[in-house]
Amino acid sequence: MAIIDTAAGSAALGAATEALEIRGAARRHGRMKGLSPDAGRRRYGDVRELIASPANATPLVRLNHVLAPAADAYLKLEWLNPFGSVKDRTARYLLEGMRQRGELEGRELVEATSGNTGIALAALAALEGIPLTVTIPSGVPAEKLVLLRMLGATVMATPDDLCPVDNPRDGAIALARAIADSPAHRGRYAMPNQYANPDNVRAHYETTGPEIWEQTEGLVRTFVAGFGTCGTITGVGRFLKERDRSIRIVAVEPQVGHRLPGLKNLQEAKPPAILDRSVIDEVIRVPDAPAYAMTRRLFREEGLIVGPSTGAIVHAIGALDSAASGLTVGISPDGGQKYASFYADLVADEVAAS
Amino acid sequence: MSEVDMLASRGAAKSGSSGAAVELDCKGLLCPLPVYRASQAISRLEPGAVLRVECTDRGSLADFPAFARQRNLTLLSATERDGVQVFELRKEADA
Repeated sequence: MAIIDTAAGSAALGAATEALEIRGAARRHGRMKGLSPDAGRRRYGDVRELIASPANATPLVRLNHVLAPAADAYLKLEWLNPFGSVKDRTARYLLEGMRQRGELEGRELVEATSGNTGIALAALAALEGIPLTVTIPSGVPAEKLVLLRMLGATVMATPDDLCPVDNPRDGAIALARAIADSPAHRGRYAMPNQYANPDNVRAHYETTGPEIWEQTEGLVRTFVAGFGTCGTITGVGRFLKERDRSIRIVAVEPQVGHRLPGLKNLQEAKPPAILDRSVIDEVIRVPDAPAYAMTRRLFREEGLIVGPSTGAIVHAIGALDSAASGLTVGISPDGGQKYASFYADLVADEVAAS
Repeated sequence: MSEVDMLASRGAAKSGSSGAAVELDCKGLLCPLPVYRASQAISRLEPGAVLRVECTDRGSLADFPAFARQRNLTLLSATERDGVQVFELRKEADA
């Protein structure tokens, strides 16, 4: 067995590098045939091709243990997007729209995000060589900040009380807006502004909504998603209502002062401009405690490693009358790995007792 | 501000004496960027040091008094001249 030591300066590294160069040269000269992308074989030329679309939908997985036996509910696992959340769709549409409008040329990006949009934007921006600054509200887990920095983004952590005369929880949005609009920056920054950009809604109207319709064979009766940027609830809600006005669209709202990243209480935060309340039939308020309790149950009883907003959404599904709800689809916006520091509190008692 | 003045002001910030101040130019920056930058600058100062911020967004007139209260800073002065607002903030021992 050959052992190659990649430590700097080792002779083996030199040999290994040389071997790679020989292979690269062989490929360039056409002596080694490259593979072409083949989605059927799950073989892709670029990670961006993995972002979900109706041709490459995120899975629906049935909930079998955490809800009443009569419930017929599925989670749409958005964390199986390549950058780990539902925001991969949003980020792709935001950047495509800006590029088409010529807003990206020679500029940097700045965006307010609780992390997931930032992570997706940072990955896409890195691939295109565009610098990105993200303004982050309080209450975002340290893991997300590290991921953003790993992707090369400039991170500005924003305290809640930064903007004393504005909405207290909207400091990050105000800061991003100020960076984009400040005369001293001379138009250097372009802001996708996921809270007001119709491309955020379009991402879900053109992908998430049609996927759900197709995956449920048109039988979906209830759709549940959180209030956040409101892109998902508005885009999917609008698509499903156009298919069948009687499909019930349910929004999940956290309590004031909540600790559920990605969700927004619309009393303490300004309702996003893209929110279309006409497609929403019901709002269910979910406190933190049952949201986190349900998150733990999803880990343990369903094997789903999800973020806390999924717990809030599933708790809300559980609060609905399951007989009246019919076939229900809830969004699982992101996975649980990025919240290990939050969950440490949740299991601390058990650790202490063991 | 000359380089010598800058050094003098840094020295003053460190020694905690009043008079010279650390300067922060926020002209042409919209709110809440001046408060954000002031907040970062304050955290790097020693107690007793004075931060002098120049702004051109009139929102600062409301933001800085509120910022001073929240962060337990003493707003020594708030003046406006030729469209430039100038705030002098002193970092207190427990800020």
